[in-house]
Amino acid sequence: MKITKISVFALVTLLAVLFIFPLYVAVLMAFKSAKQTFDSFYAWPSSLDFSNFVQAWNTSEYPKAIFNSLIITVISVALIIIASALAGYSIARRNKPFYNFVFLLFLSGMMVPFQVTMLPLYKLGKSLQLVDSHWGIALIYGGFGVQMGVLFFSGFVRGISREIEEAARIDGCSTPGIFFRIIMPLLKPVTATVVVLNVLYIWNDFLLPLLYLQGKDFRTIPLQQYFFFGQYSSDLNLAFAYAVMGMVPIVVFFLFMQRFIVKGIAAGAIKG
Amino acid sequence: MTNAKRILRGEGWYLFFLLPAVCLFILAVVVPLAMGARYSFSSWDGVSPTIAYNGWDNYVKAFQDKDLWRALWNTFKYAIILTILINALSLFLALLLDSYLKFRNVFRTVFFLPSVISIVLSGFVWNYNYSQGFPKLFAYFGVDMTSPLGNPDYAMIGLIIVALWQGIGSPMIIYIAGLQGIPGELLESAKMDGATTWKSFRHITFPLLAPSLTINLLLVMTGALKVFDLVYVTTKGGPGFATEVMSTYIYRTSFDNFKAGYGMTLSMIFFLVLVIVTVAQVGIFRRREVDL
Repeated sequence: MKITKISVFALVTLLAVLFIFPLYVAVLMAFKSAKQTFDSFYAWPSSLDFSNFVQAWNTSEYPKAIFNSLIITVISVALIIIASALAGYSIARRNKPFYNFVFLLFLSGMMVPFQVTMLPLYKLGKSLQLVDSHWGIALIYGGFGVQMGVLFFSGFVRGISREIEEAARIDGCSTPGIFFRIIMPLLKPVTATVVVLNVLYIWNDFLLPLLYLQGKDFRTIPLQQYFFFGQYSSDLNLAFAYAVMGMVPIVVFFLFMQRFIVKGIAAGAIKG
Repeated sequence: MTNAKRILRGEGWYLFFLLPAVCLFILAVVVPLAMGARYSFSSWDGVSPTIAYNGWDNYVKAFQDKDLWRALWNTFKYAIILTILINALSLFLALLLDSYLKFRNVFRTVFFLPSVISIVLSGFVWNYNYSQGFPKLFAYFGVDMTSPLGNPDYAMIGLIIVALWQGIGSPMIIYIAGLQGIPGELLESAKMDGATTWKSFRHITFPLLAPSLTINLLLVMTGALKVFDLVYVTTKGGPGFATEVMSTYIYRTSFDNFKAGYGMTLSMIFFLVLVIVTVAQVGIFRRREVDL
């Protein structure tokens, strides 16, 4: 028994090392100079040298990209939460054919792959002037996000007992009053789930920004990285420093929100 | 009268609550899909203001388009291999992590970590590891290696390994959640009756994991069929046509080759294929699930 335990542990450790290895190489590169890399590829950097990071920060408009990513993610996620909480509540509480039809519409929308709509979306964005604007891209992310959001919120609201609501209604509380005063505070867990899933997707998304944010001033982190890697393909240590800088925010977010992410994915699987 | 008014007002709020979500959905999904369906019957180039419609010409052309079939073949090859590998590895890891193991939360974090990094980043990191990192490592053992992404025979496998590395996180968590839902008494009584580890896995754990398996196969498969970013940032469909998948082929046709009308035709065909695959998968797997 003891031997099995040790060998399982050894196996998992080996796999974990394999998984970390590519990232380890990236961090290693970020701290070394081109000469050090050339001399010995896997050796530790001779000293803890942040000059790559400083240079990457200065040449890459990193703060601007972070700002763009942040503002787009925040607006999109706020839109998704508000819109899908309201609609999810409606659908859960009115069990009528029309509401069920709308629900099915959202569900079947999830089958439409983005690639199928990307060209019309681009044309639509151009004519409605949604291109090169934080709000424009956020509206599109909102439209993508509500499909799954409605699924989560309506499922959650169905699990809340109606008694409190009915009591409040007898006391003269209006529908919006009930929603904002009674339901909203109860939605925290499902909100956390929807937030983390959408943050991970929107923060890392590449294709929609590639279409919608072509102006230099609007590039998000993944897009900025894409162009930066193309530009500095000869100065790899610099490019890796930038790569590591790009990883830090989302990895930190992940480490802090891990509990919710794990819960969210498991809950999503059951709903699906 | 006042009664009817009150009902209407009550219903009105609920309809009003639907409005934001429905508007966003129409803007981002319904309108583009309808526009796309219309363009698919045109020879539009994607930029000119006038659009000439040509009936079913594009669809006829598509069925004779060898590149379309090759792209579809590549897409399915990629998706099927990846689906099998991801599910096998993540189920294996879930089983190991679900059993008593020291630092299991640390391990879970490690295996999930690659999934939170953007594909642009992982594509870049892997591209470099393939061309410099691994060959230098293998050189210690005297093995020669060149980047698989540059070789038409291995490029697809090279991509699948990256996708495997990045795709293990969520399926693993879904499997862990599924495993935790299996009552311990079942496994205990099997053990008392003398079942081996393999037997109790084969006859108890695995059948009860069917819902997790269904959802994982479905999610990974549909996700893999839609792959774009990874191919676009690493190989761009090359070398040759070796890794050209439907999404990149559509992108190239629509944007780089200015055949938007035809690109939309390809998109519609692709959409249809995806719907068929999804419906078929749900149909097949739902039937053989065990209810707990």
